[in-house]
Amino acid sequence: MNAVRIVWRITRLNFRAQLEYRSEFLMMIAIGAVWQVSVIVFATVLLTRFTGMGGWDSSDVLLIPATRMLAHGLFVLFLGRVHGLGRHIQEGRIDVYLLRPMPVYRQVQLEFFPTNAIGDLTVAAGLMWGALARSDLDWTAGRIGYLIAAVLGGMLLEAALFTVVACASLRFPAADYWGRWLEELLGTFGSYPLNVLPRAVGGLLTYGLPLAFVAYFPAAVLTGHDTSVPHWLAAASPLLGLVGYLGARLLWRWSLKHYAGVNG
Amino acid sequence: MSGSIEVRDLSRTFHTTVRRPGFAGALRSLVNPQKVAKHAVSDVTFSVAPGELLALLGPNGAGKSTTIKMLTGILTPTAGEARVAGVVPYEERERNARNIGAVFGQRTQLWWDLPVRESFAILRDVYEVPKAEHAARLKEFDDLLDLSSFWDTRVRHLSLGQRVRCDLAAALLHDPQVVFLDEPTIGMDVVVKEQVREFLRHQVEERGRTVLLTTHDMTEVERLAERVVLINHGRLMLDGTLDEIRRKFGSTWQVRATLADAHTDAVPLPGIALLRQDGPRVVFGPDGPEAPTVHQALRAIIERYDVTDIAMDEADLEDVMRTAYVQAVGDA
Amino acid sequence: MAVLHAWRAARVTPLGELHAPPRITAALLRLTVQVVLVWSLWRGLYAQTGSTAGLDRDQAVTYAVMAVLALRLRELDQYAGRDTVLQHMHFGTIVYWYLRPLPPQRYYALRALGEQLYGLAWALTGYAVCLAAGVVEPPESPAVAGVFAISMLLGQWVLYYVMLVIDQLCFFTLRNGAAMLILIFAQNLLAGVYAPLWFFPDWFITLSGFLPFQATLNVPLSLYVGRIPLSEAGAELAVQAAWVVALALFTRLVWWRAARRVISQGG
Repeated sequence: MNAVRIVWRITRLNFRAQLEYRSEFLMMIAIGAVWQVSVIVFATVLLTRFTGMGGWDSSDVLLIPATRMLAHGLFVLFLGRVHGLGRHIQEGRIDVYLLRPMPVYRQVQLEFFPTNAIGDLTVAAGLMWGALARSDLDWTAGRIGYLIAAVLGGMLLEAALFTVVACASLRFPAADYWGRWLEELLGTFGSYPLNVLPRAVGGLLTYGLPLAFVAYFPAAVLTGHDTSVPHWLAAASPLLGLVGYLGARLLWRWSLKHYAGVNG
Repeated sequence: MSGSIEVRDLSRTFHTTVRRPGFAGALRSLVNPQKVAKHAVSDVTFSVAPGELLALLGPNGAGKSTTIKMLTGILTPTAGEARVAGVVPYEERERNARNIGAVFGQRTQLWWDLPVRESFAILRDVYEVPKAEHAARLKEFDDLLDLSSFWDTRVRHLSLGQRVRCDLAAALLHDPQVVFLDEPTIGMDVVVKEQVREFLRHQVEERGRTVLLTTHDMTEVERLAERVVLINHGRLMLDGTLDEIRRKFGSTWQVRATLADAHTDAVPLPGIALLRQDGPRVVFGPDGPEAPTVHQALRAIIERYDVTDIAMDEADLEDVMRTAYVQAVGDA
Repeated sequence: MAVLHAWRAARVTPLGELHAPPRITAALLRLTVQVVLVWSLWRGLYAQTGSTAGLDRDQAVTYAVMAVLALRLRELDQYAGRDTVLQHMHFGTIVYWYLRPLPPQRYYALRALGEQLYGLAWALTGYAVCLAAGVVEPPESPAVAGVFAISMLLGQWVLYYVMLVIDQLCFFTLRNGAAMLILIFAQNLLAGVYAPLWFFPDWFITLSGFLPFQATLNVPLSLYVGRIPLSEAGAELAVQAAWVVALALFTRLVWWRAARRVISQGG
């Protein structure tokens, strides 16, 4: 319980710290607005222009970006600081964290308050609302429960991927570069029904980089579309997110134990 | 004229926003920020002759770095005037840049991703140093600082001591008449520190460069500087030689005496305070501005008491500076 | 001598990359994967549709793949070199920019030029490979190729200023890398990197007509694939050139303000 209290207190302080830089805070809000408009336009435009892509109606297909964006917004809010960790490692911040009596991973997350997550979540919530309003599906308690689980699973899966990159950064600080690519890939390819891609490429985004499990498979399960993987595997996406995240945390623990410091 | 630094009535005021405490305060500051003026440097006057090494001393936040920034042309003063090698630095920044070299503590000016030698080559072309001259100077610096063992390494992989040595070389490659060093040896080991001091001494004595140095390392001051300028709270407290400083603030001597009769109660003497007594062992110290020198005190104590053993300690430079800093705070 | 320091400053980026072979391997891998992904995505999207927004499948694929290649011109691991304005402000090393007889704005411009030329080598190689593999269509005529080359040059020039403005923001408010990434995302989106601007709603296209971003990529690529006919090329090139002039004046003013900022606060 004490841990929760400390986390809450530091988060409040971090939020206040964001208010300290007046122009930057106002600017982050402005940037948030640009971001919101552009993402909504981007996500809706392609989906409405290419109706029936991969055999999905536009009302169904909207569920994919909505799930992905909501999962992403939650990731940024709660676990987003693992992204870009390489820079802090290079500055020797990890060494400071290792001295304090709090788990390093939690300290990383408490680094600063992600003002931009507010914008991300607003967009995502709007998009989800739009998707649900257009949907002809019968939204039973089971479906809603599964959707919530899928969003949380997507958040954890994204966190797991970035945690793996962060583990690599502990050894090779330049691994941050891969983190930026990962973000771009998730952003651009996470929003489509992946069956429009050739089999090999779709397989790469399923088994190589498990991007399909973030939003595509859960949306397919909800709307009853077939995918390239067995139904049970697609349905297990939220669980996979959880397992992936726990695995990534184990990897993090192992990597931290083998952390050798930077620049002597 | 060449290589001299002249500073007259230099002042610099910063305007900062004060933050109101608490959460509501932070929100209010966001809407309506409140400004206050902070006088970082006020009416500072001093000069450094060509080929002289001057140590600029003062506690943290005294205004040393602000002064150096004004002399390097990075910061414009609010009032007063400065000339470095005849140039007003903040008016002719680029002309001044050719005359000066600077190292700011642990901040490196080297290119992070490149081998050190590449950084040197970039600077050579930026400062338009002829190739032969550059090579000769690099050779000289290598002899003094042992650079060649690591100058093909990328900067990101250098240790702190190696990096600062390279930064020193980088700052001096274009043969500047005036050199500004803001805590150059901070965090270095004794061997590297000694190497850097040797290098600086060489640059002053053999190359006739003018050096303005800030440091908190009193050994460094003793080894390098004949003259020091002491500032605190942005004001000049003292401009003189180390001896003058010792004379002014160094009266923190102590005399330890063992009395022949353990039952005597020692009493203070004129200008001499009784610091403590533990049976026969007594410690005296100076008292007030009219305190005698340690030798006079010694004589007075021996005349007054029957002592079996007596010893004196004179304060070292670090004690002197402590007194100076504390006293300066009291004055301000 | 001025040529010498220009050469030195310009080659900082390529030299840094050459000293870090893993980065080159990473860039190669990333570029290849990205081209394959984009190529298959657009072919997949067009599987059900003949032609939309005035672009047929080959035009859209060519546009998208060339956008990926063009992104390579500036999309480097800029943080690795610790030479971005954001990092210099963070580490306090920006003072050294103002301590040298080389004006900061010229140093910045030379560094960017070197970076863009290095990126160009990548983009041209990628283009040659894609052309040989039939991933992108060749330009329709030598005239189209010529106009495209001019437009691309102007576009890169505009892009330089846009990136400069984002960097200049760091002098005043930005302390946050996340905000930088979002701004760069917005610039890419409005330039047509993620999807050709033609697919967007009319109000969005009108809006971006008033912004410089579409001049960086959408105009040259649209000329290349023939979505903007040669007859309209003159007007488009003029708009690009106007942006170059306007942004040049604006960024010059901001440099001046930035210097004053550094001079009044000491970096």
